[in-house]
Amino acid sequence: MRVILALLMVLWAAGVAAGQGNLVVQVTTEPPGLDLTASPASAIAGVVFYNVQECLVKVDRHGKLVPWLAERWHTADERNYTFFLRRGVRFHNGRELKAADVKFVIERAMNPETKHPHPQHYAAITNLVVKDDYTITLTLKSPNAMFLYNLARQGSVIYPREAVDTLKSAPVGTGPFTVADWVRGDRIVLARNPDYWVKGLPRLDRVTYRFIPDPNAALAALKAGDVDVAMFGIGPEHVPELQRDPRFQVVVGETTSDVILAMNNARKPYSDVRVRRAMTHAINKPEVVKGAMFGLGRVLGSNIDPLNPYFVDLAGAMPYDPARAQKLLAEAGYAGGFETVLRVPPQYYYTVRSGEVITSQLQKVGVKVRIEQIEWGQWLARVYKEADYDLTIIGHAEAWDISNYANPKYYFRYDSPRFQELFRTSETTVDDRARRDLYVKMQRLLVEDAPVVWLFVHPRLAAAKKGVQGLWKDLPLLAFDLSEVSWAK
Amino acid sequence: VRRYLLRRLASFGVTLLFVSALAFIAVRVLPGDPALLIMGPEGNPEATARLRTALGLDRPIPVQYLEWLGGAVRGDLGVSIQYDVPVGWLIASRLPVTLPLTALAGLFMVAVALPLGLYAATRHRRAGDYATMIVSQLGIAVPSFWTGLLLILLFSVHLGWVRSGGFEGWSAGLGPALRSLLLPALALGAFQAAVLVRATRSAVLDVLREDYVRTARAKGVGEARVIGTHTLRNALIPILTVAGVQLGQLMAGSIILESVFALPGLGRLALGAIAARDLPLVQGVALFVASSIVIINFAVDIAYALADPRIRHDGGR
Repeated sequence: MRVILALLMVLWAAGVAAGQGNLVVQVTTEPPGLDLTASPASAIAGVVFYNVQECLVKVDRHGKLVPWLAERWHTADERNYTFFLRRGVRFHNGRELKAADVKFVIERAMNPETKHPHPQHYAAITNLVVKDDYTITLTLKSPNAMFLYNLARQGSVIYPREAVDTLKSAPVGTGPFTVADWVRGDRIVLARNPDYWVKGLPRLDRVTYRFIPDPNAALAALKAGDVDVAMFGIGPEHVPELQRDPRFQVVVGETTSDVILAMNNARKPYSDVRVRRAMTHAINKPEVVKGAMFGLGRVLGSNIDPLNPYFVDLAGAMPYDPARAQKLLAEAGYAGGFETVLRVPPQYYYTVRSGEVITSQLQKVGVKVRIEQIEWGQWLARVYKEADYDLTIIGHAEAWDISNYANPKYYFRYDSPRFQELFRTSETTVDDRARRDLYVKMQRLLVEDAPVVWLFVHPRLAAAKKGVQGLWKDLPLLAFDLSEVSWAK
Repeated sequence: VRRYLLRRLASFGVTLLFVSALAFIAVRVLPGDPALLIMGPEGNPEATARLRTALGLDRPIPVQYLEWLGGAVRGDLGVSIQYDVPVGWLIASRLPVTLPLTALAGLFMVAVALPLGLYAATRHRRAGDYATMIVSQLGIAVPSFWTGLLLILLFSVHLGWVRSGGFEGWSAGLGPALRSLLLPALALGAFQAAVLVRATRSAVLDVLREDYVRTARAKGVGEARVIGTHTLRNALIPILTVAGVQLGQLMAGSIILESVFALPGLGRLALGAIAARDLPLVQGVALFVASSIVIINFAVDIAYALADPRIRHDGGR
């Protein structure tokens, strides 16, 4: 009895010591700098995006575009956009956000000298005119359907021009938190921004990010109480155990990461659409999700992820049918099957696991797969850049990445003039209904052409102590917004 | 003695030159483009190409190497591609973790292995000997990252005595800093201790079979003195050789344990640098580790001379 009492005391003391305003968050990798305008690394976005720096427009937790630092905008011709900035928004250095800052930030992103990773997101802009301190007009070459979305991306964060030199180590922004400390190799600490322009936010006083790369170590740190939230580190195999544990809650949601089996469309036998369709029919996707992901993850039939407003569920469009796969292979002249190499980067555990399940499934229709594990740097250099591969598995994390299929030089080497035309039209079609039609057509065309096999959407898996509330369930883009997170009273 | 030292110094220089060239070529032969790794698969190809030029990666390899070597001789190891800070500074910032970790692990290794090895040798073919050998066999068979995870499970998750990982820094105080290094040092040292136990045991056994030990015993010298003075000192040479090699291995082993325990040490720095093809950083760390190992070997050589006067006189001739 005394032991139990002592234990309860300890637990109670631990609860108090945890501090209501402090949150310790595990992330897998340390950001290689904190400059969102210099690198697309997800580790940077995980800390800085929405927490320290914000954009004119925001993608909210439901994937909707909402006015943010711009309280509204206006366009009469879909070429001239006038943004009206929210008044009284202050940067962490105390100065008020003005239209001149927006002009500076966007012009800097467009300038090739600054090495912004995505200058093409701003290539449509031809002119920026500051009307007054709170009004700016951006002029486009032609109507551009992705324009507003591009202003909500991580590379479009607004910072004061006088702080441009410290973006890498101590970024200044308008966000709910400021960067308080960065002990390289161990932790980054964010502190509450007391002057945040959204009243009542943030709810936490302090956020500490710890870098724990090993998934088992991340789990141990959570169980030992050393971290409050494991943001990215836990694997699907840890989920059942954590769900049973009354001390924790597991967040399972959607992401925009499509895990695919890519086929080199320029290489035999995958240059034959019948072979590509046969591959799709030969793979039992629910079994892959079960075997590789412990059943977590949604089966995918085409490229668009379920968080996209134009998503059509095509998971059943080309179902598992090994007999049909064999027939298609015979028609293409591969009645006896063929041998092929699957290159997977073990840095992403799901690629190897999915590859093993798929290998045994393809065996049944005569396709003999040899798995070759390849380090990430080599994957990028050989598979991605040189398209030196037969098959590969990878997750494409970007939202709105259907554009990859319109690029014949992309490592899929998928070259369909019809698709390219549809995509081009969709880029300049601003009307929502017309654009949705085009997106549905593109998704269906992709199913038919089967340039890759879409396997599943990688689930968002996070684990937190009970009592942590306000975490985003889905990740419509890569941001771990902590502004509304708090401890239950 | 001076000629001996000069010879050692010259070979030290040649080794370092060789290692630096090897590290330089290895990371460049390895497929993988630092610019592509920074920009990632979704990066804009033109922006990636511009970054490659800015990093100076499109120049001939010999030119890049000589330039780097010229800097290294002056003590300038270049700037890390990933972190955009001087490589020397990065390495120095990680030493307060890795050096104490390696030292603690080495201390633990010696403190466990020497007495256990001696004990096993004096209990040759008896229960104590067999028990020690079984334990050391286990120690060799279990990989250190697994030992590390087991230690975390026991001491952090179940008992809650120490933190499961991370390092607050020495500024947080001696106690907390040592506490965060304790478990990884145990896990790291356990494997090497298991190896050293066996080396110690067989070295001591060899000496125990020598005539002078029998003579000493016949003279009626006490067993403690036989072991302490006559045996241990003579067995030290092979033990030192093994221990010296192991000190180098401890540094290499810290790479894995620093990941398991989330310690901001040199090993994790190196691992991240290789994955990101952070060429200057990989070269800098390789050069540093190679110099350390050469210095350790140098120290072991001197220790030989201290342990065995024959070597000392031989070297002085």
